[in-house]
Amino acid sequence: MSADPAEYAIEVEGLVNAVGAGQILHRHLNLKVRRDEVMTLVGGSGAGKSQLLRVILGLKHPVAGSVRVFNVSWHDPSFKKVRDARRRMGMLFQNGALFSALTVFDNVAFPLRERGGISEKKIRAIVHAKLAEVELAPHDGTLLPANLSGGMVKRVALARALALAPDLLILDEPTGGLDPDRSERFVQLIKRLRADHRFAVLMVTHDRDTLHALTDRVAVLSERHIIACGTQEEVGELPHPFVQNFFGGERGRRALAQGEAAA
Amino acid sequence: MVARDAELAVETVENDPVPTRVRASGEWTFAGLKTRRTEILRTLDDLRRIAPSRVAWDLTPIADLDDTGALWLARAMRGVDHLQASVQQREILDRVAQGSRVRIAMEHPIDPYAPVVAIGEAALHFGAHLRDATALLGRVVLEAGALARRPRDTPLRELSASVYRAGVAALPVTMLVGFLVGIVLTYLSALQLKRYGADLLVINIVGVGVVRELGPMLASIIAAGRSGSAMTAQLGVMRVTEEIEALQVMGVSIITRLVLPKVIALAIALPLVTFCTDLAALAGALLASRFTLGIAPLAFLEALPRAVEPVNFWIGIGKSGAFGFVVAFVACHYGLKVLPNTDSLAAGVTRSVVASITCVIILDAIFAILLRNVG
Repeated sequence: MSADPAEYAIEVEGLVNAVGAGQILHRHLNLKVRRDEVMTLVGGSGAGKSQLLRVILGLKHPVAGSVRVFNVSWHDPSFKKVRDARRRMGMLFQNGALFSALTVFDNVAFPLRERGGISEKKIRAIVHAKLAEVELAPHDGTLLPANLSGGMVKRVALARALALAPDLLILDEPTGGLDPDRSERFVQLIKRLRADHRFAVLMVTHDRDTLHALTDRVAVLSERHIIACGTQEEVGELPHPFVQNFFGGERGRRALAQGEAAA
Repeated sequence: MVARDAELAVETVENDPVPTRVRASGEWTFAGLKTRRTEILRTLDDLRRIAPSRVAWDLTPIADLDDTGALWLARAMRGVDHLQASVQQREILDRVAQGSRVRIAMEHPIDPYAPVVAIGEAALHFGAHLRDATALLGRVVLEAGALARRPRDTPLRELSASVYRAGVAALPVTMLVGFLVGIVLTYLSALQLKRYGADLLVINIVGVGVVRELGPMLASIIAAGRSGSAMTAQLGVMRVTEEIEALQVMGVSIITRLVLPKVIALAIALPLVTFCTDLAALAGALLASRFTLGIAPLAFLEALPRAVEPVNFWIGIGKSGAFGFVVAFVACHYGLKVLPNTDSLAAGVTRSVVASITCVIILDAIFAILLRNVG
């Protein structure tokens, strides 16, 4: 696949987004995620982070403005262009969103079968490789999602998101609902996979440890638009109450110190 | 101190701007009010009907006043002009009056426009559903057209699974119901026809009734309750667990993958189920006519083709195809409208079954009018 470093993975320009009867959620929102970076979206509860993700994923139509993923708008008349852009993108939902009627193997194989043109033998090889990447054994493939632990659900969902070797991975609360030990392992997993596959990441998280461990740039969503976008140090200096509390608060400082000690 | 029961003395003074004088005395407490409860309540009720400006209240002789007494008095004294009472009594009365006002304010006044508003809201709601259903129908038709151009993408596995679930798996219950309805219908018709000696007409009545009306109706009502509810619940749960979003993100069309297979499958399966239901109902009719009217099974079978023109059969089969489409379509429509919460899921399934049965009956009426000269 093309890997033009100048290309943006996600470009959101002048986005106006509303929920329900005219309640404006985002106004003139701009956000660009580069082809090779990990961007974390932070914001207070109810700031509309998940809604912004939905718009970027093309699940929700904005009132105005444009959203392009790999330079393709979801409204592009070319079915093939939209489909190809979708295939370059993997999504990890907060609760996994695994297909509950399918086994782990079939869940991971789903995007491959959907893509078509791949022999069942090759699919089997890819699925087992992906399962191994997320530290699952081949025999876990026979399990149904209902029989998995929370951490396993996340890992299977990650394997499914990575099945088509995407250039962009979108993570909604990747470590939400995991205990600190497991979150740490999950973060390390994503770090390792990124080192191997070099995909861009857009992530929403409340977990400062995850943020400090993975993020290149932070975008702060507040008051209906991105109030700041930059490295953690740059954003941390912004005299905004939310930012100060998030980065300058006790937990933020502790996580930062830990991150530096680890580095 | 000996407790004195509450008393209420009313006297009327002629030629006075305030003709009614009320004097309350004794213990106006829960205990003190017990003895003359009925009498006092009646008097207070009467006093309420007199304009407040024409009543003078004297509460000073009251020995003790608690909330019960104050509440009774406050109700009767609403808007009073002439009041003699101690500071303490006034305080209690004010407090109680405020408390009772809150209670009164909570009673919903009858809004004369409420029925109009309700009808209007229901109409808007219905309009919104109609609009969304039309949009869904449009998408189903468009994607079906797209699928016809590239038949390789047809989700055959989902289609055959749906045909099996909605068709084969539904056969036992549908045929049982058909069989029993056939018996009951024949038995009841036979009772009436026997009186006129028109025994053989039972074959015409039951034959045409079953093949043209009852078979398709029974099959589609059971399909609505069985398959329709399952379809709505399945789509609804997929909505709740974000599986639908996951499909959309992967670029999979939920119409092609989830809606079309169900709609097509039921449109294929229901005519077949109807055919089997017809057979079961006619078997029931054959059995019942043997035992109630003594019509030999062979005679029944011989008379049946003469009594029921084949066109009736084809009408029934054709109708059930349309019913199958409608049941599955309505079920999918409600399934996709489920919001991510359990209440919405339960409500969606209920509405789906009710709406699809209603739609089937409406459609049946339309068919009856359109085809009245056929068969």
